[in-house]
Amino acid sequence: MQHNGILPAGWGKSGRIAAIAAPALILAGLLSGCAKAPPASDTADYQAYQAQNDPLEPTNRVFYSINDKLDRYAFKPIAKGYIAITTQGIRNHVGDFVTNIGEPARLIYFAAGGKPRDAGTALVRFVVNSTVGIGGIFDPATHLGYPETDTDFGLTLAEWGVPAGPYLYLPAFGPSGARDAFSIPVAFFLTPMEAAPASTAMTAFGWSQTALHLVNTRAQFMDAIDQVQATALDPYATFRSLYRQSRASQLQLIDQRDTPTVPDWFPQPAAQAAQ
Amino acid sequence: MHFRRYVLGAITALPMLSLAPIARAQVSPDAAKAFITQSGQQLVAVVNADTSTAVKAQQLQTLVNQIVAVDNVGDYVLGRYKSVATPAQYSQFQTLFHQLLANNITYQIKAFQGIGFTVNSASVVGNDTVVDTTITRPGEAPADVGWAVDEIDGAPKIVDVIVAGTSLRITTRNDYASVITSNGGQVSALLTVMQNKINQIQANQ
Repeated sequence: MQHNGILPAGWGKSGRIAAIAAPALILAGLLSGCAKAPPASDTADYQAYQAQNDPLEPTNRVFYSINDKLDRYAFKPIAKGYIAITTQGIRNHVGDFVTNIGEPARLIYFAAGGKPRDAGTALVRFVVNSTVGIGGIFDPATHLGYPETDTDFGLTLAEWGVPAGPYLYLPAFGPSGARDAFSIPVAFFLTPMEAAPASTAMTAFGWSQTALHLVNTRAQFMDAIDQVQATALDPYATFRSLYRQSRASQLQLIDQRDTPTVPDWFPQPAAQAAQ
Repeated sequence: MHFRRYVLGAITALPMLSLAPIARAQVSPDAAKAFITQSGQQLVAVVNADTSTAVKAQQLQTLVNQIVAVDNVGDYVLGRYKSVATPAQYSQFQTLFHQLLANNITYQIKAFQGIGFTVNSASVVGNDTVVDTTITRPGEAPADVGWAVDEIDGAPKIVDVIVAGTSLRITTRNDYASVITSNGGQVSALLTVMQNKINQIQANQ
């Protein structure tokens, strides 16, 4: 559950400098506030501290508080207005459109991570949804047996064996980690807009797409975030737990789907055997 | 956008959230499926009935106490701090845990209106039997929710809700553990925060 961050990946061309500089600035800031580890002699507490793997918790909580205020007074009201003037169907199509723009990047992430079938699925999805799906507004690929499998560079690094590292709560971006933070700058370059010839129209499209993605994503998580903030005893810890479980689940799904499959439109082996 | 389905499912399922830890005995997939089908039908009937919110809240709390292993869930959520807590603290924790669950259900009742429930399949996952369902709400995308079922005291009970690969009992446990560790390992601090949260939710209702 990667939410309560403000900016989605794939922010746009103009943000690349900020994206590259951000991890360095963030790390510098983070190092200024570290949680105090319990003594190793206190076995249970020390093991819990290690499992939590959030040595920068004091600083992370400061960023969480800043993001929370930004969200409460800026992004949430905008998202509520967006919900008021759109239907769930429209929001679904916006989500499909944004997802489709991300498929070429997924293809590369999967290929780099040694997941050829997932990469093939991303390719088929992009081709089918960009054409039959009218530029990605519709998602016929899922109905043909090619469901979306989300990924990013952080998960590619995980496939390479890079450990998750300490938990990070990034300004604007929200829950992340020492490994996953690298997916932010990479995502800025891996968009179809980067491959297209530079133009004012393309820049405007990139920013518009980013803004739409941002608002649509926040609207999508409206109830979930409200629920956590209303009922959790410690929303920061709850989001941290959800983020980590979600990442582990994403990795599991990537591996699970990178197996020989038969699309829905192809004669199923079981059906053939029965004939 | 399958992820959206899971997230929306989390919202729907959160009030049932609690969820227990220790597998007492395994339930067969068919039995688990039948149990979740029946429980889901009861839930839908209560939520969509033409009654007041207060009546629905009361009926839902009764239903949840019947189909969810709330005490076991509480034990799981408290985790290793159960051995640290005094008998009085443990007893107070269970009382507050039940109250929080009840308040969370009341908080979500309006969001439940018009809910639909379809049971898909069931399979054994580790020590649990997980029943996959699809939950629908008017104006919302369908949500996939997994219900982990164990046999507790001879009867099937829900012990976890799994949405988008996230276990709600683990999430709750981490939430509570964070409060305790932030307060020097004191269970009394958790009890205070739980009571404050109950007061806060009730004040906002």
